[in-house]
Amino acid sequence: MRYLALLGSVLLAIGATFAKSSTGSSVLVVFDPKLNRQDYSLFFSGLEAYATDLSPQSLVQMLDSKINVIFVASPTNTPLTTLALEFGLTFSPPGAQLVSHFPERSSPHTVVPITAPDSKLLSNGTAPILYSGASHSIAPNPLIIPILRAPAESFATDSITEDGADVIVDAVDKGGEGLWAGSQIGVVSGFQTIDGARATWVGGPELFSDDYATQEVHKGVKSGNYQFAQDIAKWTFQETLTLKIDGTTHHLVGETTPREAYTTNDNVVYSMNVSAWNPETGAWVPYSGLTDMQLEFTMLDPHIRTSILPVKGKEGTYEVTFRAPDRHGVFKFVVDYKRKGMTPLRSETVVPVVPPRHDGYPRFLSAAWPYYAGAISTSIGFLLFSAVWLGGEFVPTKKGKSE
Amino acid sequence: MRFLHIISLSLLPIIASAGKLSLQSARVVVSDTEGTILRNEPLSKTRLPSPALTLDSTDTLKFTVQILDDETGKPVQPHQTFLRFYDAQNDEEGIQPLRVSSTGKASFELNMAKPPASIPATPDESVPLRVSLIVGSFEYSPLSQPLFDLHLPVSRPSPKHPEEHTYAPLPEIQHTFRPEPKTPYVILSAIGTGLVLSPWVALIGLLGDVLLYGAIFGGITIAAGKSALGKVGQWRLAKA
Repeated sequence: MRYLALLGSVLLAIGATFAKSSTGSSVLVVFDPKLNRQDYSLFFSGLEAYATDLSPQSLVQMLDSKINVIFVASPTNTPLTTLALEFGLTFSPPGAQLVSHFPERSSPHTVVPITAPDSKLLSNGTAPILYSGASHSIAPNPLIIPILRAPAESFATDSITEDGADVIVDAVDKGGEGLWAGSQIGVVSGFQTIDGARATWVGGPELFSDDYATQEVHKGVKSGNYQFAQDIAKWTFQETLTLKIDGTTHHLVGETTPREAYTTNDNVVYSMNVSAWNPETGAWVPYSGLTDMQLEFTMLDPHIRTSILPVKGKEGTYEVTFRAPDRHGVFKFVVDYKRKGMTPLRSETVVPVVPPRHDGYPRFLSAAWPYYAGAISTSIGFLLFSAVWLGGEFVPTKKGKSE
Repeated sequence: MRFLHIISLSLLPIIASAGKLSLQSARVVVSDTEGTILRNEPLSKTRLPSPALTLDSTDTLKFTVQILDDETGKPVQPHQTFLRFYDAQNDEEGIQPLRVSSTGKASFELNMAKPPASIPATPDESVPLRVSLIVGSFEYSPLSQPLFDLHLPVSRPSPKHPEEHTYAPLPEIQHTFRPEPKTPYVILSAIGTGLVLSPWVALIGLLGDVLLYGAIFGGITIAAGKSALGKVGQWRLAKA
């Protein structure tokens, strides 16, 4: 992320609350201090107030130092919305809020019920979520994880009376500010930095309010706001979808300890242990649920890329066996597992691969039998000939006898 | 705290029923650059035009509709009148707002020679865009009406981040090993060994008898010599 050069502008009016989660990682919640904390007691009670001058640079620095942040913007809050550009999120113009005339309802059309999507961040069966506030468009940045998108029929506008239609159409014309509309527009988006720090951007604070959490979406169905707020807080707090590598080893097939160097064409076994954080028990638990992890055996470029699968019976262990390439050199076992919403897993182990030693090649080949036979028979023949020549008697054919 | 005021107002008795809107004379006309009309069809509420409409890169499509109050028949200018272009397979969407005149008439002209920015990318020519009309209002019940399926010329896909593909499994790479060094057939090596050892066979054949006598006498000589040496050794040891 590039740092915005806001040249010394300091956000004096940004309030914040700070919390430490069970993993020990910290969360900073940034919102407008004019809001009354009592209205948000379900979510914010338990967080300590931490009013301080926060500049965009310091907020980004916090992400670098692994403090997770929930950014709560609003339709009018411009300093935060300019910071959002750094994350690839472009908010609708100031004053514009999300409006949806669908579904037909008696509550104001600026309070939009959104069906909870199928997402690994959210619990199954979350009721529709009531939302009001700003919306943002999402850049094609793989670090962004869209959590909640606006409904297809919704749009962002500041005209909330029936005769405001022209304002909306003018927005699309040349020179207009553009129209934030449709299902590609996000309302709550997550962002995960390359190191794994998480930030969640929410377009309005009412999502967390006690009012919305207790309201009914339709007859007898309470809104899913409380469950949703819990889920996104848990994700940002690094409690769900948080993984780590416990250790990696490698060894030859048939051995158990790693070698200093492997020979080309060796069968090598690489194994790693992965744990996930379990928020209920508050501990790291071995996790075998990764089905698409891959191992690369790399020397400048990957020579081998293969999937590394969980071992049945050993929870949390993943193993793969492969044949070392017949190129010698310094190789690396590289695991670079990046998936949206999950902590990135990265591991590199350097291992030399040497060509076979002089006695590592196949010996006593069948093609050499004639040569062995020839050499041995020459030696035996020589011995016998020497014995006969030295010890034998030779009678000359012409005359006389020898001794 | 404007938002909280609005929420508390909603606790007042509910509005009984909002009026209904109706779409009249919805029609789509497809023509090419010369003005020849290729398709001219009224649109029905229940069925999409079949076959789906197709536009070439120089064709023009014109859609017209009139929005009226269902009960009084008076024209209405709703708050939201959008055309939504949606490709469910590739998740591409485009929203185009329409201006509704005071007579309730709205029209949209799509010239493929200069397409507006609201048309989404169509990377797959076999998948059509589903075009629907979304009408929303503060005073009337909202209305969402699918209009027609539209095949547009193939466009470049929407831009993807260069690292996007690393967030999914990458293609597997197998190393092509050098072929094992070829060894000749064992039978050939055996034949070769046989050829190498054949002089011995010949030798044994020619000197067969001589070697037999030599082997027997040699054996006797060795046995006799060993026992003689043994006797001498014992005599020497007894003497010492």
